[in-house]
Amino acid sequence: MPHHHHEGKKFENFVFNILKTPSKKVFVIIAVIIALVGSIMMLPTKAVMARMLPGKSANTFNVYVTTPAGSSIEETKAVSQCVVDQLTKEKEITDIETFLAQGAPLDYAGLVKGSALKQGERFAEIVVNLTDKHEREEKSFTMVHRLRPEIKKECGNIIKETTISFIEMPSGPPTLAAIAVEVYGDKNSDVLKVANDVAHILKKTPKLVDVDIMSETPYDRYQLIPLKDKIAKSGLTVEQVNNILYLAFKGMEVAVKNTIEINDQVGIFVSLSRDSKKLSNSTLNALSAKLSSLYLMNKKGMMVPLTEIVDIVKIKSTPTIYHKDLKTMVNVIAETDMESQVYPLLEARQTMIEYFGEHGYEVSKVPGITTFMFDLNLKDKQTGKEYLIRWDGEMKVTLDTFRDLGAAFIAALILIYLLLVIYYKSFAISGIVLAGSFLSIIGVIVGHWVADLVTVDVFFLTATSLIGFIALMGISSRNSLLLIDFAKSLMEEKGIEKRRAIAIASATRAKPIMLTAIAIILGSALLASDPIFGGLGVALISGTVAAVIVSLIFIPVLMDNTKAL
Amino acid sequence: MKEKDLSHIKVTDYAGKLAKGFLYNPLTALLAVFLLVLGYISLEVMPREEDPQIAISGGSVIVVAPGMSPKQVEKVIVDPLEQKLREIKGVEHIYSMSMENVAVVNVMYYIGQNREISNLKLYDKVMQNMDKMPKSIMQPLVKPFDIDIDIPIVTIAFYRDQNSQIPYVKFLETVENLKRDISQIENVSKTTLKGAHKEQYNVEVDLAKLKGYHISLGQIMQGIQAIAKIAPAVDTATKENKLVVFGVKNAIESVEDVQSIIIAQYMGSPIYLRDVATVTDGIDFQNKQSALLTMKENDKILQTKQMTLTVSKLAGSNAVFVSDDVKAMLQKNKKYLENLGIHYKITRDYGVRADDAVNELVHHLVITIAIIAVMLIFFLGWKESLIVTFTVPAILAITLFVAYMTGQTINRITLFAFLLSLGLLVDAAIIVIENIHRHLHDHNSVHKDMDTLLIKATDEIGRPTNIATLAIILTMVPMLFVGGMMGEFMKPIPQNVPVALLASLIVAYIFTPYLSRKLLKRKEDGAHKHTHHTNKEEK
Repeated sequence: MPHHHHEGKKFENFVFNILKTPSKKVFVIIAVIIALVGSIMMLPTKAVMARMLPGKSANTFNVYVTTPAGSSIEETKAVSQCVVDQLTKEKEITDIETFLAQGAPLDYAGLVKGSALKQGERFAEIVVNLTDKHEREEKSFTMVHRLRPEIKKECGNIIKETTISFIEMPSGPPTLAAIAVEVYGDKNSDVLKVANDVAHILKKTPKLVDVDIMSETPYDRYQLIPLKDKIAKSGLTVEQVNNILYLAFKGMEVAVKNTIEINDQVGIFVSLSRDSKKLSNSTLNALSAKLSSLYLMNKKGMMVPLTEIVDIVKIKSTPTIYHKDLKTMVNVIAETDMESQVYPLLEARQTMIEYFGEHGYEVSKVPGITTFMFDLNLKDKQTGKEYLIRWDGEMKVTLDTFRDLGAAFIAALILIYLLLVIYYKSFAISGIVLAGSFLSIIGVIVGHWVADLVTVDVFFLTATSLIGFIALMGISSRNSLLLIDFAKSLMEEKGIEKRRAIAIASATRAKPIMLTAIAIILGSALLASDPIFGGLGVALISGTVAAVIVSLIFIPVLMDNTKAL
Repeated sequence: MKEKDLSHIKVTDYAGKLAKGFLYNPLTALLAVFLLVLGYISLEVMPREEDPQIAISGGSVIVVAPGMSPKQVEKVIVDPLEQKLREIKGVEHIYSMSMENVAVVNVMYYIGQNREISNLKLYDKVMQNMDKMPKSIMQPLVKPFDIDIDIPIVTIAFYRDQNSQIPYVKFLETVENLKRDISQIENVSKTTLKGAHKEQYNVEVDLAKLKGYHISLGQIMQGIQAIAKIAPAVDTATKENKLVVFGVKNAIESVEDVQSIIIAQYMGSPIYLRDVATVTDGIDFQNKQSALLTMKENDKILQTKQMTLTVSKLAGSNAVFVSDDVKAMLQKNKKYLENLGIHYKITRDYGVRADDAVNELVHHLVITIAIIAVMLIFFLGWKESLIVTFTVPAILAITLFVAYMTGQTINRITLFAFLLSLGLLVDAAIIVIENIHRHLHDHNSVHKDMDTLLIKATDEIGRPTNIATLAIILTMVPMLFVGGMMGEFMKPIPQNVPVALLASLIVAYIFTPYLSRKLLKRKEDGAHKHTHHTNKEEK
């Protein structure tokens, strides 16, 4: 195979030329440093954006409808029906299931979003099934992105303060929300106030959607105060009052009928008819008018109107008090719309620092680098009350994961280094291999930048990219190893001069290095188009390209410079 | 098969030893077939599911305290309860809600905690501290979360068509019977009906009429209760000690019976319940939970009430099989249901999704192997390419078998692990075959016999390849220690990639030289004498 040989010879001379000319060597080193610094700078400049995991195209998504506390099932139903009507206009939607006053059958997302705990007239969950993703052009997350504003505009104002959130299937482990801001403090009402400000800021932050305070806003309600004297004088009891009210408006199973046909007992349920129950409006007078037509019978058989023995007053409902880990806390959640949660978070945080600073709070950041490093401490300058704004949700999981993966990466570096030191019994050579494998990061970042340029959606640097990068370290250290081993054996066994030996080793090893690289590139090509594993695919492809160039040109330069070889 | 003495060939590495040991071994071919069969069986029988199972333990404690405001609930119930629950080892977070009349405390354990023990610890803690609770509250309810049993893998919406004559009660009964049949299917753990209502006689009282007749609601209640008594049968003995059983017939057998209950007398004439209320045989409308189904049929939008049957599977069982069995059961009953005017729509099928995921893996693998094979034909020749191509299924077979043996399932993340290793696992074979190829075409090895050449070529690259592969394995190991949900989620990667890499080494060292001996011939072009100077030294 003569042509291979000539090519090999050519490359051998090329490497040899670089090695023997100091200026060319310096040029190679500087070029590598520029590439490294340049690519790493792409991260803070947002040329390449980071995110935990990108969205996944699925055959289904959910819509959660939550009407404000105190809403009736009819109101919730009206909102969900509006959503369903909007959705049915979509060609790609095959069927929709609406679950009223309860959560939909549990799924991965619902698991952590408390879907199973939902009970009450203000809740509804809508499951939307789409045509198969392989036969559909529009990805489910693009569809949600398109439908979200339309549906919110159309249905969001039927009942004021309704939250309509779109829940997509998580591609990784499920989290409560993309962004969950926990506001801690001492008193529930104070915390709520701060939480409202936080929610307000989140709502104004671009790219953040479905903002919701996980606490109910107080609503008007009425309280019936039993007039004890009058009740006693009329020969009635408070219990009778309670019972009659419950029976009239809630209804009660007063008896059962046994049947042979059905295993269940059939209840006999008494209540006022639907028409009788309805008030003309929600004022105190309307309630009073209704209650005045409700009579109680006393022991003497006399009919006493309910309004004679109770006073009706209007009050505000007391909101639920939430604790997390024993501290009073109100959660504000938000989703990101086809966007990494990192950047809106930083933006919202900046706004919060300014806003609370201007509104009588002393704002301080949490010192040090931890996964709580975005937290903010607030201190009310007048009252001295302290609050903590903590970022949880997908962001926290992302930071935790990136921290753990980072630690895994460093552990891998150390392990490889130790392995090499044992193998070569030389710190310098091991260092060369390690340096070479770290440089594949250039390819990983540049690859993501190129992928972002050529794709329509934003191509994120994700957790899977990071896993790809860690795997790449091993792959590129293999290249360097084969090279160094071969060069060493040429020098030791055949006594070839160092530079020539390095050049020959590069030329001879070029072929298997290229072949394995091509195998990896081709093997990962299919991955690159996958929404979740795309990051891994791109990392492997572009990282491998960088690794090949580094090991065939940069590693020989380092080898030449070290005395250990 | 001729046995040859290879002991004169000196090897320095495991690579050479393996190559030498298996080069003429008659078991080598058998081993290959065995591996492939093993892999195929593992692929078929390994449980398939879409998402990996994550062991989440935790539970809710619900305390009903009538008449308490959220503040009181917080101070009297939640605060002491939280402090006690915090003492439990392994608890990560405690969330609580103090509402009017109710306290809910949710306890979340760290991921990976044993579920049974966690549930027990929670129950224990609550019960031990009952004396610290105020007297007016009701017995607390402790409800553990059971995550991977609770996510249904199949959901089916049942509905009646417009022409259906059967009443709701019959509809409910039919679906409930089907639910019972489905819950008996192997590996089905839990079935529920969502949006189903119970039969009930509804007495809806008209307030205006009530007022007109001067009757109170209490009278209606008492009136019904007086008649609708269920009397158990009684018995007595005759003089001859024969048992005689008798009882009062239930006074209420139908809606009509309820309608004609006399509530009161008004101006001398009786007032029947039907005079002041509408009594119907209906459903429990006070249960506000309901479910609707909206679908498109021939471009028409159809919306109906429905009830959804959810089916969960046991942990570690195959979602595909369970879902298939459920669907078969539905198919069997389809005719019967349709005659009653009942139809169904499968609204979730994780079985199909799990199957899709696995088929996609196989599809990806085949394409990738084909592409790599073509690439190698171009660079090395078709026989060499064939050898490398064979190693891929062999390596995957070993990996799959090990995964099966360690109780893993095929899911999205195991799939990810396989795809990740795909690009890596041909490397060892490529390096070996390339070195064999190089030596075969090298004029300086003309004097060597084929066996020595194959073994030497394998042995030569053994050490660096071993170390390099070990290096890649080492990069994977720390991933085992990534914590939290994400760590649990991606565990299949550090579990499977190292196995695949080890397998790739062994397969490359055993089968590459063996197949090379069978397939490759020495190139006999001695005319080309242009030798490399490195090889000059060798002479």
